[in-house]
Amino acid sequence: MIIIGERISVIAKKVREAMAARDPKPLQELARTQFEKGANYIDVSIGPAEDDGPQLMDWAVKVIQEVVPAPLCLDTTNRAAMVAGLKAHNNQWGRALINSASGEEERLNNMMPLAGEFNAEIIALTLTEKGIPALAEERCEVAANIMGKAMECGVPMEDIWLDPLILPVPFQQDKCKESIRAIRLFRELNDPPMKTTVGLSNIANGAPKELRGIITRTFLVLLMYEGLYSAIADPNDKEFMDTMKTVDVLMEKRLYAHSYLEM
Amino acid sequence: MALSGVEIFKHLPKTNCKKCGYPTCLAFAMKLAALQESTDKCPDLSEEAKKFLGAAAEPPIKGITLGPKGVKVGEETVLFRHEKKFVNPCPIALNIKDTEGADAITKHIADVNSSEIDRVGQMLRVDLICVTDESGDPARFAAVVKQVADGAPNAGLILNSSRPASIEAAIGHCADKKPLVYGANAENLDAMVKIAKEKKVALGIYAKGLDALSDLSEKVKGMGVTDIVLDSGARTAKEMVEEYTMIRRAALKKSFKPLGFPVISFVGRDDSTLEAAVASIGIMKYASIIVVNSIEKWKTLALLTLRQNIYTDPQVPMQVEQKIYKIGDANENSPLLITTNFSLTYFIVRGEIENSKVPCWLAIMNVEGLSVLTAWAAGKFVAGSIANFIKESEASKLVAKKELILPGYVSVLSGSLEDKLGEGWKVVVGPREANQLPAFLKGRA
Amino acid sequence: MPFVIPKDTYAGKVNALTFGSGDKAVTVGGENGLPFLSFESIIPNRPLIALEIQDVAPSDWPDTVRKVYDGVSDSPAKWARFCQDSLGAKIVALRLAGTHPDRENRSAEDAVKTVTEVLSAIDVPLMILGSGHIEKDAQVLKAAAEAAKGRECILGKAQEENYKTIVTAAIANNHKLIAMSQLDVNLAKQLNILITQMGFNKDNIIMDPMSSALGYGIEYTYSVMERIRQAALVQNDPMMQTPLLCDIGPNVWKTKESAAPESELPEWGSLDERGIVWESVTASTMIMAGCNLLVMRHPKAIEAVNKLVSELI
Repeated sequence: MIIIGERISVIAKKVREAMAARDPKPLQELARTQFEKGANYIDVSIGPAEDDGPQLMDWAVKVIQEVVPAPLCLDTTNRAAMVAGLKAHNNQWGRALINSASGEEERLNNMMPLAGEFNAEIIALTLTEKGIPALAEERCEVAANIMGKAMECGVPMEDIWLDPLILPVPFQQDKCKESIRAIRLFRELNDPPMKTTVGLSNIANGAPKELRGIITRTFLVLLMYEGLYSAIADPNDKEFMDTMKTVDVLMEKRLYAHSYLEM
Repeated sequence: MALSGVEIFKHLPKTNCKKCGYPTCLAFAMKLAALQESTDKCPDLSEEAKKFLGAAAEPPIKGITLGPKGVKVGEETVLFRHEKKFVNPCPIALNIKDTEGADAITKHIADVNSSEIDRVGQMLRVDLICVTDESGDPARFAAVVKQVADGAPNAGLILNSSRPASIEAAIGHCADKKPLVYGANAENLDAMVKIAKEKKVALGIYAKGLDALSDLSEKVKGMGVTDIVLDSGARTAKEMVEEYTMIRRAALKKSFKPLGFPVISFVGRDDSTLEAAVASIGIMKYASIIVVNSIEKWKTLALLTLRQNIYTDPQVPMQVEQKIYKIGDANENSPLLITTNFSLTYFIVRGEIENSKVPCWLAIMNVEGLSVLTAWAAGKFVAGSIANFIKESEASKLVAKKELILPGYVSVLSGSLEDKLGEGWKVVVGPREANQLPAFLKGRA
Repeated sequence: MPFVIPKDTYAGKVNALTFGSGDKAVTVGGENGLPFLSFESIIPNRPLIALEIQDVAPSDWPDTVRKVYDGVSDSPAKWARFCQDSLGAKIVALRLAGTHPDRENRSAEDAVKTVTEVLSAIDVPLMILGSGHIEKDAQVLKAAAEAAKGRECILGKAQEENYKTIVTAAIANNHKLIAMSQLDVNLAKQLNILITQMGFNKDNIIMDPMSSALGYGIEYTYSVMERIRQAALVQNDPMMQTPLLCDIGPNVWKTKESAAPESELPEWGSLDERGIVWESVTASTMIMAGCNLLVMRHPKAIEAVNKLVSELI
């Protein structure tokens, strides 16, 4: 399964400060360790960055790709910053991943055309102005709308990664199954099956620290069983990565060898 | 893509009337999905449902039977043999031009008739003869077809001509023997289809490229001929690999019906060794019939062996007959060895004994085709069963000294085996690896 | 219903491996799809063939192939030069068969002498193969690796039981490595992991899945190779992306089919052509399964295979 390393996020104090000071080292360190631990993409989340989004994104993309030979997941709602990131992105190790469009009209119109223009892949959240739909089928309707817009913008279906959105189990336990079901239904929306992704750590938000690991890992297994294509997560979490690799082996997506966990 | 039980169920009457012999419509649907039942069993199925289910139940690649001996082609279900056994080994066809002299043709026929060989207990041969219209003369073509049909009564025929008049003239000599009429194309389609329908024979169609081939195939099917064999015009090895892969993927992965048919491959080359190499590509990559220009014995041996290998069921090991094999000029003083009837084990051990130049008796015991260690672990190659096999065999009559050489991997059995054999038998532990046999045997001689 | 070309996309690719030194260095591998599907992938390098020579005269080779080298096979250096200059070999594979304890039991020092002689005689890349004896190979290949330093040879074969010494020698002397496991896709992966964990660059490994001759288990090798490529290209498994090597000479030329005279088995046809076709078809089968580098013996078989490869690319 594809892992998008989530650690470079403006929410983390260390990252926020490094970005503000344009200090590359903390970002590069985080990028490097995530890559070594198996991240296939590095997420770069700069937040809304109202003042200097484009410059910040341009700088962040360049300093990160200076040290890791990997494609980046560009995480911002700021359109100008997204454009700057796409321009700065080095595509030799893979195309950029736009994080994200959604079923909200403005956001869809802002982001989807960029995927076409820059030949990037794009994460699309199946929520609308009304919020996150309750049922998996309703999320499918939003997905279908997103797919329609993609076709208009010349974005192939294979470039869209649908995200059903994860609600935390301590507060919305009744909604967790729907996210799992949504993964299966999303895949069936096209042939070949649509790609999917989730912001995995959200499932354990609000749970005590000692529970977060077991909740997140087990939720991962259920999602992977339904064919989850990728997850935004922390590859430094060894138990999480071990679980992911083991599911891959059990589902014959990864060749077994006695040392498979070390890979 | 085959329908699931649930999808089929949606088209059934859902009355649970039990007329089909099953307790519920869902149970019947599951049987249909497993291709273990026919929709005929349900008297209440609408015509529409029958048609829909019938079409969905069709194999993705049509099966066609050719020749008086009923050689089957098509019906393949996978792209890789490790997924599932390839179904119908591709027959080899010798190409005979109708411009060749009568003596040459007589020799060709004799070669086909004497082409049968035995490999691991399977009788393999050149199954088909392709008569090719080079002369343009219907009478000549018909005469050669007759000569071949009469001279090789067991071989299936391929009539290779794009002149309907030539096919008309020749077909009478073999129509009842399920020939393949090859040579239909966009220009002669109507006439060729007419013959195929009248004589109820399979039709080989040619169009260059898969777009044209798909169109042609759809047209032919629409005109009422469903036993179709495809030729995309692939002649170089590259075209063969690419186009046959595209055809098989389209048929299996995309349910693309126009290309869901067997494929005929013409691999003729001036250099016979190169022709064998190209033919081997066809065998591995999805050709259903392979037409060669020559069938020297050394060449057919190689091609039939490869075909046998590639079409082996990956789940079921090939086995040889249980018996005591004489290797070289073995006599009552020659060593007696034992191993299992997994054909690979047999060939390798036998090969090494032959390399040693020491004549031996090789006792092969039936363990359902498992290798030595696997058979031992499964409890099939153990002291008791080995002792029974040896005692019930003619082993004690063949050798003066009652000594049995055991594969080194099961040396742990030697004591117990000696006890169970009794009657003065001695057990000697042989080498673990077959390639150590020459040194071992020469050392004892 | 219009026909649409059913193209597959692949997540991974096969590593490109360059070996040999100077302007005679060659590269194999690098393709990013299953074998010869150039409508959906790029094939930057055609499969190559190494000609096999030995450190001792090939008295155990069947006539059909032995006689080709009568007059040169008494001297490895002469033999190597004959392969390069007269047969146009792009790569020579020196098998140190004589070092096997059950045979001439030549020493590591003897092997060093042979390797040095052969390296002086040719400038095309050299592959150095042990005799296949696990313990002896470790010593012999260690010495040979030192003797061949600077020539970026392919050294082999490293197996589960003896890889540590051989890997160390390959690292120290800057050679590429053949990793061989016994017809098992999972063991092949594990061996590559173990080798890489020693600090050996995975890009310098070439995998030998263990060849079998036509009629003697070839389908096992064929399917193991197809499964290795699925892991490399579809699953993008970095441990399975090495090029593939098939060392077919010993297996082909010890079969009955390559040696039994026609008089003994008339239904098998002419012997010389039979031996040649046996090696050619064994090779073509390996190539179709993804082999990037073959080790072969008979020039006529090599010729047929090269013609086939030219048609395939």
